[in-house]
Amino acid sequence: MKIIVDIEKKEKERKSRRQLVQIGFLLSTFALIVFLLVKLKALLLPIVVGALLAYLFRPVKDRFRVSWLPHELRVLTLFACVGLVLFMAINQTRKMIPDERQKLELKVRLKYKVNEKYQEVVGGGKGEKHLGPVGSLISKEIGPAMDQLNKLLDLDTDEAELFLKYRNGYKGQEPISDRFFEYFQANQTTSIYTPPAPRDPSSVKDEVAAPSPQSAELQNSLMEQLSIWILAPLIFIFMGFDNGQMRRYFIGLVPNRYFELSLTVMDMLDDAIGKYLRGTLMECSLVGLTLAVGLFLLGIPLPVALAIGLISGLANAIPFLGPAIGLVIALAYSLIAENITPLIPGLTSQDLAMYVVILIGIAHVLDNVVYQPIVLGNAVNLHPLVVIVAIIGGSVLMGVWGMLLAIPTVVVLKTAVETLFKELKDYRII
Amino acid sequence: MSVRKAIAEKLMWETLRRWKKTSPDMDRIEFLKTVPFFNELSNWQLKKVADIVFERTYESGEMIFEQGQPGAAIFLIMEGEVSVEIVKDRVVTNLARLEKGAFFGEMALLDEAPRSASARSLETTKTLALYRNDLSRLIHTDPLTACHIYCALARIVGDRLRSTNELVQTGEFIEKVSA
Repeated sequence: MKIIVDIEKKEKERKSRRQLVQIGFLLSTFALIVFLLVKLKALLLPIVVGALLAYLFRPVKDRFRVSWLPHELRVLTLFACVGLVLFMAINQTRKMIPDERQKLELKVRLKYKVNEKYQEVVGGGKGEKHLGPVGSLISKEIGPAMDQLNKLLDLDTDEAELFLKYRNGYKGQEPISDRFFEYFQANQTTSIYTPPAPRDPSSVKDEVAAPSPQSAELQNSLMEQLSIWILAPLIFIFMGFDNGQMRRYFIGLVPNRYFELSLTVMDMLDDAIGKYLRGTLMECSLVGLTLAVGLFLLGIPLPVALAIGLISGLANAIPFLGPAIGLVIALAYSLIAENITPLIPGLTSQDLAMYVVILIGIAHVLDNVVYQPIVLGNAVNLHPLVVIVAIIGGSVLMGVWGMLLAIPTVVVLKTAVETLFKELKDYRII
Repeated sequence: MSVRKAIAEKLMWETLRRWKKTSPDMDRIEFLKTVPFFNELSNWQLKKVADIVFERTYESGEMIFEQGQPGAAIFLIMEGEVSVEIVKDRVVTNLARLEKGAFFGEMALLDEAPRSASARSLETTKTLALYRNDLSRLIHTDPLTACHIYCALARIVGDRLRSTNELVQTGEFIEKVSA
C-alpha cells in the first residue's frame, strides 16, 4: 500500500515538474519571439511576403498532381514554370521601360501637359484670367502642389544639355521631334503659381551646408535591402517544397490534451485565411482586368492599359485607398496621353480624363456589387471601422506594406481568436 | 580490384537497406500494412498515408480523448494498450481493451459528432492519428487511396452495426452494459 502511495506521490511531483517546465518553455519561447521580432524587424516583411506567396502558390501545387511524380520533382517542375513566366514578364517589362531619351521626352511631355490641363481648369499664372472664385480657390489650394510638381519635373542643366543633344541627333538616334522641342521651350516659361515665401537666411545656410546624399551610401543601402529581400524568394522556395512537415512539427510540439483541438483550429484558420487571400487575389485580378479592358476601349495603348490595370488591381488590395490610387494613376496618364482614338464610337479624346473617372467609378461599383459578393462571399467579414483603423495602423507601422498586410493580419487574428474560443469551449477546456 | 569493388557495393547496399528499414517512415508503413483499414493499399499508397498521419505517445492513465468532445481523428495503436469506456450517471463502464494493431475513434472520420466514449491509455501507448480533413484532402490529391480507406471504413462501420444489432436482439448488450 505504502509503495503505491509513494508511486502516486512521485507521479504527482513529476506532473507538477513537467507543468513547470512547460510553462517556463512557453514563457521563454514567447520572450524569444518578441526579442527576435524587435531586433529583426527588417527581416519580418520579406519573410511575410515570401510566406504569403507560398500560401497563394499552394493550391496550384495541390492541383498539379501526377501520381507517379515524386513531390520534389512536382514542385521543381512548377517552379520552372513560374520562373519561365516571370522571366518572360520581366523581359516584356524591360522592353517597356523607357531609355534615357524616352525618359527625357516623358518628363518634358508630362510637365507640359500637366500645366496645360491645370491652366485650362484654373486659368494661367500671372496676368491671365481666372475662372471666378472657384478657379481662384482651386489655384490657391493646388497652386503650391503644382509648383512642387514642376520643380520635380524640371530638367536640370545636364538633362537639358542632353535633351538638346538628342534634339540634334545623338548616339545614332533620330532627332527628337519638333513637338517635344516645342514642349521643352514652353516649359522654360512655365508660370509660378504661388509667390515665393520670404525665406529665413539661416535655413538657406543650413540647406547649402547640408551634404548631398553620397552615392556609395545609397549603393550600400540598396545592397542591404537586396540582401534582406533575397529572403522572400528563399522562404517561398522552401515553403513550396514543404509537404506538411512544418505542420507536423508544430503539431508535434502541442501537448496530447490539445492535439485534436490544435488540428481543428489550424485547419479552420488555414481555410479562412486561404479563402480570404485567394478571394482578394481573384477580386484584384478582376478589377485590374476590368480597368485594362476599359482603358483599352478608351483608346489607351494595350501595354499601357495592361500596366495601369495591373498596378490598380494590386492597389485594390488596400480597401478604400486602392481605388483612389488607381484613379490617380489612370488620371495622370489620361492627362499626358496624346493621339488617342477611343474605340467606342461617339467618344472624343478631349474628354479622356472624364471618361477615365467614369471608368474607375464603374469598376468600383462592379467590384462592390458583383466581384466581392461572388468571390469573397463567405470569406471573413470585417466591420468598415476595423478596416480603416487597421489600414491607418498598418501605414503608421510599416508604410505601404503595412497598409497591404493590415487586413490579412486582422483576418488571421479575428479567425484565430474566434475559432480558438469556440473550440476551447467545445473541447470543454474553458 | 573487382572483388574490392563488389564488397564495397555490397556494404553500401546493406547500409542503405538497414538505414531504410530503421527509418520511422518504414516502421509506419510496415505497421499500417497490419491494420485492416489499409490492407488493400499498395506500398506507395501506404507511403502517402504514412506522410499524413501523426505519431502521438500517451503515458499510462492519460486520456486520449473524452466522451462528448468533438471527434477529429482516428487512432491506431502501434504499441501499448487502450481502454475504451463510457461514463453514465458517474459510473464508468469499460467497453473494450484494445491492443497493438487495433484502432478506435473511427466515427470521427465521418463527421464532427461528439465522441460516444472516452479512450484512456493503460500503459505507455504509441498511436498513429489520422485527421479527418487530411483524409478529405486525400480525395482530391489521391482519390484511389482515399476511396480504399473510405470503403474499409464503411465495411467496418457496417460490421459493427450488424454485431450491435445482434447483441441487442439477443439481449447480451444490456447484460454487458449492466455488468
